Amino acid sequence: MSVITATTKQNAGPWMTLRRRRQFAGFLFTLPALALVIGFIGIPIGQAIYYSFTSWNGLTSQWIGPSTWSQAFHNSNLWTALQNNALLLLSVPFALGLPLCIAVLLHQRVAGWKVFRSIYFMPTAISWVVLGLVAERFFAYQGTLNSIIHFFGFSHTNTNMLGYESTALSALGITFVFTMIGTNTMLFLTGLATLDPTLEEAARIDGAGRWRIFRSITLPHLSRFIQLAFVMTVIALFSALFSLIFVMTGGGPGYATTTMEFLIYQTGFNQGDFGTAALYGIILFVLTAIVGIVQLRLIGSDE
Amino acid sequence: MAEIIFDGVTKIFGDDIRAVDDLSLAIAEGEFMVFVGPSGCGKTTALRMLAGLEDITSGSLSIGGRIVNNVLPKHRDVAMVFQNYALYPHMSVERNIGFALKIRGDSKDEIKRKVDEAATILHLNDFLDRRPKALSGGQRQRVAMGRAIVRNPQAFLMDEPLSNLDAKLRVEMRLEIARIQRLLGVATVYVTHDQVEAMTMGDRVAVMREGKLQQVDTPQDLYDRPANEFVAGFMGSPPMNLIRCHASAGNDRVAVHFGHQVIELPWNYTSSHALPESGLEVVVGVRPEDVLIVDGASTNTLETRVERREALGAEILVHLSLLDTTTSSTSDGELSRPVSLVAKMGPRTKVSVGDILYVQLSPEHAHFFDATNGDSLRTRP
Ligand SMILES: Nc1ncnc2c1ncn2[C@@H]1O[C@H](COP(=O)(O)OP(=O)(O)OP(=O)(O)O)[C@@H](O)[C@H]1O
Ligand SMILES: [Mg+2]
Repeated sequence: MSVITATTKQNAGPWMTLRRRRQFAGFLFTLPALALVIGFIGIPIGQAIYYSFTSWNGLTSQWIGPSTWSQAFHNSNLWTALQNNALLLLSVPFALGLPLCIAVLLHQRVAGWKVFRSIYFMPTAISWVVLGLVAERFFAYQGTLNSIIHFFGFSHTNTNMLGYESTALSALGITFVFTMIGTNTMLFLTGLATLDPTLEEAARIDGAGRWRIFRSITLPHLSRFIQLAFVMTVIALFSALFSLIFVMTGGGPGYATTTMEFLIYQTGFNQGDFGTAALYGIILFVLTAIVGIVQLRLIGSDE
Repeated sequence: MAEIIFDGVTKIFGDDIRAVDDLSLAIAEGEFMVFVGPSGCGKTTALRMLAGLEDITSGSLSIGGRIVNNVLPKHRDVAMVFQNYALYPHMSVERNIGFALKIRGDSKDEIKRKVDEAATILHLNDFLDRRPKALSGGQRQRVAMGRAIVRNPQAFLMDEPLSNLDAKLRVEMRLEIARIQRLLGVATVYVTHDQVEAMTMGDRVAVMREGKLQQVDTPQDLYDRPANEFVAGFMGSPPMNLIRCHASAGNDRVAVHFGHQVIELPWNYTSSHALPESGLEVVVGVRPEDVLIVDGASTNTLETRVERREALGAEILVHLSLLDTTTSSTSDGELSRPVSLVAKMGPRTKVSVGDILYVQLSPEHAHFFDATNGDSLRTRP
């Protein structure tokens, strides 16, 4: 008995409170993951930062220094790409809003909801390359979109959205919205499934109509899911659009659909300038990180 | 405040689940009506039909003289307290309570005033800024009540509002709810499966079973004059002893045979009960407190043995088995197992397992039920 008391006392010595000990244990548990993160993410990022100060053709690198950065910002292609990224952000509200509407409708078990659910989820299971090809056929001069327009009687109206600098980015944005619908709809449906149905009943008895219930009960409940979807959508927009661009436009016409991501690829693999590509990569990383951090802050402040 | 009338209300789920079957019942203005019954008997369904959350399959339901079968919940002007409280998690207590008023379009000052008033009644003033998550179970329960009372509705509907609370809090809130209901005088339908809640809170109690209304009465009448075997067994704790036996009313005496032990009950039972004349099987019901221990064998006593003894502090429950019934001279299968009785005794009664006791059934308080359908054989109230 006395032995046990003694050891307990020792362990609970004043140098380590219970809270400290828990934190320490937590730290130990995260060590393996931390090692992986440092090994596979930290080191490459460090390398990229280093290469961003060099001129590197893929084989030999030569240290140049901070002037690479000042030069890069004089490159108009970088600004075009940044602008394209910014413009594409305009598609995010649609990539969230449409799935939200769909999810709310499906959740109300509208007739045929199971079929619709499968249809909306389908794009998620299809490679973005295939989706890009389908979209390319859809927007093409002799494609589906024009057939539909002609079908409705406007036989002299023709579109070629991918063919013009002014509209290609919009077509890309629309395609992006469609590719995101499945995932975001599923995410929102999951969120709705965790909503206690008696809350809605209570609100109905309190006199709330559909719209009021949506605004005061459903939306606040979904806010975390919407925030998550927002982060995922923006990250996808910044870092997963490559396959769509590659298949649909190749970044053109001109630089009309070249995003940061695509610019990195072009700079590196088409122009063989891996140093600058690494530099662009860091810019993109920082931008994405800013979105993520701002968002995490917002989520955090919720509590 | 209004009268609520169920008239032949039936609810069928799917094709054949009769959750509520032909319910007819009137709840007066300001009355506290309790729906009680075992799990799955249709209490919640009846309440949800009243709230407008469930369609009515057939029959009509009216509140304050208006048929509400097809009226949306928000136009029924009833308030409901849910079993899980259903508080809006992202709203403060204040906004939870004021939500209905805000929707109704009351002014800010008015909402504030009414919420404060309700909070005072419910002792919630210190918690108005908190979210439901930061409240204890009892406090959440009060908020749910607050949400109902600020609206000053025509009726309160409560579905087992106390079942998530611990025993002590339950007793407290039981009194609290009853107090508030009296204070506001709003017709209330209160669902519970706890017969103690039913007995203590209700002006009247409606006992349901498998969708059917069994009896509606004041708690005391329900206790003293159960309409059938089910109600008799359901109300009261410990439940009434229900014993199959043979009764014959003739030659100025009512003889009740338990195997070959026989007791006689006063003749006046025949004027209030339809008792068989020729030893037909009936079910006799005796509450545990009406099983009396007497000093020795006499003509009206049953010889029993103590099988079990439960001391509850203020009283002792004694489980007795009737001797001799196994060797019953009748060839009836029902009586070939020992008949047992529970008796409630004073805390200082000296009994121990194995004792042979002679008991009498309190002559004025026996109940008789039909052995086949369980209906009371009482003919006069
Ligand atoms: N939505 C539904 N669909 C099908 N059957 C249902 C539905 N709701 C209730 N029931 C059935 O109706 C019957 C009555 O249910 P109800 O919830 O009214 O019982 P209850 O008396 O409230 O029981 P408890 O005390 O357990 O809450 C049950 O047999 C139940 O299975
Ligand atoms: Mg229920």
